[in-house]
Amino acid sequence: MSVSNLLENWAQFRHFHPIDDKPHDPYKWAMSIDLDACTGCNACSVACYAENNLPVVGKEKYQHGHGMHWMRIERYWDEGLGVAGGSDFPDHGAQFLPMMCQQCEAAPCETVCPAAATNHTADGLNSQIYNRCVGSRYCSANCPFKVRYFNWYDYPTTDNVWPAEMNQQLNPDVTVRSKGVMEKCTFCVQRLHAAKGTAKNEGRLVHDGDVQTACQQVCPTGAITFGNLVDHESKVHKQWQSQQVELDKDAQVKDQKEGGSGLRGYRIFEELRPYPSVMYLERVRESAI
Amino acid sequence: MIDSGLDRRDFLKVLGWGGAAVALSGCGNTSVEDGKETVVSYVEAADYVIPGIGVYYNSTCAQCDAGCSINGRVREGRVLKLEGNPASAINRGRTCGLGQAGVQHHYNPDRVREPLLRHGDKNEVITWDKAYALIAEKLSGAKGDEVAFLSGGVSGHLKVLLGNYLDSIGSKNHFVYEALAPAVVRAANKKAYGVEMPRYNINKAKVVLSFGADFLGAWVSPVHFSQQYAQFRKGVDGQRGVLIQVESKMTLTGANADRWIPVRPGTEGILALGIINALGTASGDIAAAVKGYDRARVSKETGVPPGQIDKIAALLKLRSPSLVLAGSAAEGYAHGSQNAAAINLLNQVLGNVGKTVEASTSVPFPQMAPAKGNTVALKSLNDGLAAGKYKVLFCYAANPVFTAPGAMKFKDHLAKAGFKVAFAHYLDETALQADLVLPLDSALEDWGTQVPEYMTEGAQINIQQPLMEKLHANTRGMGDILLALVKQRRAEEYKSFDDYYAYLRGAMLLNKNALGGSGADDDTFWNETLTKGIVKLAGSAGTLSGKASAAGLTLPVPSAADVQYPLQLIPGVTASLRDGRHANQPWLQESPDPLTTIVWDSWVEIHPKKAAELHITEGDIVEVTSRSGSIRAQAYLFPGIHPDAISVPLGRGHEALGRYAKGYGANPFQILDAVFDQETGELAMHETRVKVSKTGQRVVVVKDEGAAGGKQMGRKIAVLVTTDEVDLSKEA
Amino acid sequence: MHRLLRLSILLMGLSVAVSGYAADAPQPTLTTEDDLGPQVVQPIEFPHDRHAGLRNPGDPLKGGMEIDCMYCHTYARRSAVAGIPPLQKCIGCHQSIETVRNKPRIQELFKYWDAKKPVPWKKVHDLPDFVRFNHERHIKRFVEQQNRPTQEACGYCHGDVKQMTVARRSKALSMGWCANCHQKDHPVTAAGGTPVGNQAYWYGFQKPVADAAGGEYKAPDTNNIKAQGPNDCWQCHK
Repeated sequence: MSVSNLLENWAQFRHFHPIDDKPHDPYKWAMSIDLDACTGCNACSVACYAENNLPVVGKEKYQHGHGMHWMRIERYWDEGLGVAGGSDFPDHGAQFLPMMCQQCEAAPCETVCPAAATNHTADGLNSQIYNRCVGSRYCSANCPFKVRYFNWYDYPTTDNVWPAEMNQQLNPDVTVRSKGVMEKCTFCVQRLHAAKGTAKNEGRLVHDGDVQTACQQVCPTGAITFGNLVDHESKVHKQWQSQQVELDKDAQVKDQKEGGSGLRGYRIFEELRPYPSVMYLERVRESAI
Repeated sequence: MIDSGLDRRDFLKVLGWGGAAVALSGCGNTSVEDGKETVVSYVEAADYVIPGIGVYYNSTCAQCDAGCSINGRVREGRVLKLEGNPASAINRGRTCGLGQAGVQHHYNPDRVREPLLRHGDKNEVITWDKAYALIAEKLSGAKGDEVAFLSGGVSGHLKVLLGNYLDSIGSKNHFVYEALAPAVVRAANKKAYGVEMPRYNINKAKVVLSFGADFLGAWVSPVHFSQQYAQFRKGVDGQRGVLIQVESKMTLTGANADRWIPVRPGTEGILALGIINALGTASGDIAAAVKGYDRARVSKETGVPPGQIDKIAALLKLRSPSLVLAGSAAEGYAHGSQNAAAINLLNQVLGNVGKTVEASTSVPFPQMAPAKGNTVALKSLNDGLAAGKYKVLFCYAANPVFTAPGAMKFKDHLAKAGFKVAFAHYLDETALQADLVLPLDSALEDWGTQVPEYMTEGAQINIQQPLMEKLHANTRGMGDILLALVKQRRAEEYKSFDDYYAYLRGAMLLNKNALGGSGADDDTFWNETLTKGIVKLAGSAGTLSGKASAAGLTLPVPSAADVQYPLQLIPGVTASLRDGRHANQPWLQESPDPLTTIVWDSWVEIHPKKAAELHITEGDIVEVTSRSGSIRAQAYLFPGIHPDAISVPLGRGHEALGRYAKGYGANPFQILDAVFDQETGELAMHETRVKVSKTGQRVVVVKDEGAAGGKQMGRKIAVLVTTDEVDLSKEA
Repeated sequence: MHRLLRLSILLMGLSVAVSGYAADAPQPTLTTEDDLGPQVVQPIEFPHDRHAGLRNPGDPLKGGMEIDCMYCHTYARRSAVAGIPPLQKCIGCHQSIETVRNKPRIQELFKYWDAKKPVPWKKVHDLPDFVRFNHERHIKRFVEQQNRPTQEACGYCHGDVKQMTVARRSKALSMGWCANCHQKDHPVTAAGGTPVGNQAYWYGFQKPVADAAGGEYKAPDTNNIKAQGPNDCWQCHK
């Protein structure tokens, strides 16, 4: 499996893309996030630090854009705020958006990796293989969501990242990344593995509710739903279905309806055709006040 | 879950690593050379301990007093992660970011590890025996009323033991101090409803009108309220709940409101009366009291447009039940009690009492009920210290040198106490002033019981138990220390208890029947209790007094502009840093503030219009000066603040507390004036007036927000729709 | 149509450049053969042969005791890691085996026990931290489902431990070595387990192909396919 071999036959690897082949059997992990329930409290982000051995980089490195929050809360204001004709105050509050790797079905990051370190798995995840990554950072450049984070430093040996005792908190199920590799949200793949193992021992598939991602489990308002899109009994499947959001479309049929569909489900940057696995539900504001 | 057949103590012994280094498979750089790494096995292992598989224990989160139950994942003897315990009615399996960071309190590299005798700036490591002897010696030279004990909010058996200890000394000076407690609201609630903290049913309300209550962020029981909020948004009878937030500085809750209303600081009560007036449903003395608060006057005084007041009144009339909340922004003034009373009156006029405001329940053991902290306690302690009344002062779970308003000169007065003992996890500002520092076990190493102030369904006693073996050999549990101290004085009474664990177990078994264990044998009951981590009780329900009255309600006319100090300082309370005791947990330091997205530093929130007036731009280092002092911080232009106010978040600006806290940001507590609520004597946190001046220095604000300043530039990223555009009934 | 997404012209140019470089660089060879690891000095020279080796009917004191691997390494069937048995387990037997009680090794063992200290064993079969290997899965398959003898199943990766005193690594434990076995004999489906009927498998190292009649999926002839690219690296990498 030499590099030249890999590069010459790149199409072979890409051929595994689940969309145009036998798709997602028996799992397709997906998420839906209700922005009307999300309060922007940041609990998901901190839980992600706890679960996935994310380094705290400190103020100076954060200033340089080196913050490693796989799950980050973006905060937006109304477009009309502070501009001529608009309000001076955010009358409808702020808009919060939890942003993490969207586990795109046709991930722009995958096609550009010169080392095939980021690939698509059969259960619809965009995998990142640290020991294969050479640190070209093309994937990050090509990611429309900017959810890939690069290890500019060797954090395990950097002062005050994991000093004695702090390092005892590290999750042994997740690698501690070293300098020069890219990393990103994995949908808590270590938890998925554990759940699959348990299900396998019991001779069944993973049921809805068997596995939660760290951000989903912590969320005080239950805004995050995660599960198997193939499983018709799963909550995430029901949500996608009721919102008429289809995984393999780059424009949803419901959105072409005149006067709107009255449904809230959408995917960010769908028109770029990355086919994200995360559906968001629009934030709602009362019109009577 | 722990096998109920096993004694918990045995388990802890089993966990012993015998001092050998632990092989950390997830740590450091990879070594794949055979024979280089050591693999350590257990000496003895219980059947349920399997390397590579997590064991889960229930305990209670100690990051704040809300009493969320946690479920700690332990692998190979180390606690790795905390999750919420789904069985708790308070947090139902969820936690907040603060709760997640609980492991960083435990593993913090800056914990105090040995008893320290302090000589000036120098520490001398001493033995526990010597420390205890020293305390006995100092106490023997002091009369009972010359001894004071300062603590944060305490409850459960620790409170009982502490009470007994103070009783044995003959001291009645227990000061329970919490810098950010809703003490004025408690008093106003007591007057209006007959209970200090009723049960709020946000989930049953169709409209929530909150006057500065940050119930999604840091107010009372945020994880519980967040869950109620999620149900509230789904709606009662399919009608999505509407949240209106009235406050001068946008809180996290305000950021989630359907309508956020910037009100002139301190005029929240006037707006409440104005809404009662606009409703027009009140009669008797209430109608008389609000008669003068017509739209024109209220609008002029509060800065809220008349049309807005009408809209709120119309919505409240249309959609019932509603819920009105008085929060910290309303109570923080010299007339805070009056503000809160006016707001509670609105609840009564709307008929919400008994519907969305319900009687609370309490545990049937009043001696275990929480001793609630407030700031009156700080003031009386400070006065006593200033008068040189105390020869011995104990301090536990409070950091007044950091959190007391600068105008109180607490640090100077503290120096007058003869002998100061701090029970501490870290060397914080207060511990640095102590003569003796006693190192505490972390909340994940210690035993205890906790009774939350805010109960949800029924009542509950929360169990705190060690999730792993102690990290440091010479730390002690607070209960163990108190037991040792009380034994110095009442040896006979406590001789049967070897340690606090034995005391706790004995005390719980004594009340086994009342705690729902009748019929079970002692071991079974105890093991089940520890397994669950919660003792659920029916609880004794209080009764609400629903009689609405406007008697004694007087709201001051907003004062004219202060020429010297033109701006109101609003101390910002953030969900993750609160009063600053968590500032040494790096996840929280690097967790961006939800509203400004700033990390690792303090900032001065200033409205863009006011900033333009003062020629301030983002990143200018500004000096904020009050009558009591001044601090410097970076300016951040923030639209969610009243132009006559600025806000600086609390919690940063430590001079101690370890590597992750020290030297980051500025501490606005330092410049707070000593103004108090006229009725309760509580510190009026929002009454400090300041001026802002540029220093000429500039920095780059370290934040997550991009160059577009929170605008989506026409892209469809975070989408907002109004209720008339969606049909929520179609959702799964 | 998504096939179009696969390769950009830009990348094409790049790959030529890189592969040119790569061709010159020496390539590490796949290690699939037996590969003896270093001799590791342990704090106590534990005789695996004495415990797990075959009995010697002629002289019971010379032979082994045919103890099942999982009598001591009991976690292997329940956890990703096989684990070292707790000291308690050694003592459990040895406190009642008077015949060897005075041997220096056993005396050493009891020293640890009396001090309640764990024995600082050295790791012999060490995998990098980024590899996820699950003992339980392999035991379930070979021992529980296929009824192979424990020693045989463990031996696939650990070698013939029953002949060793102190264990010594005898297999490569490299990626190529793992893949070799999985490719040849043990393709795994997404749900885990061997592919049945028309069920495609995804966790192998090549794309499965159906025969012309649309019958069973088969692994392609490895000799004729150049690219044996990774598919789901996350199956083994973390």
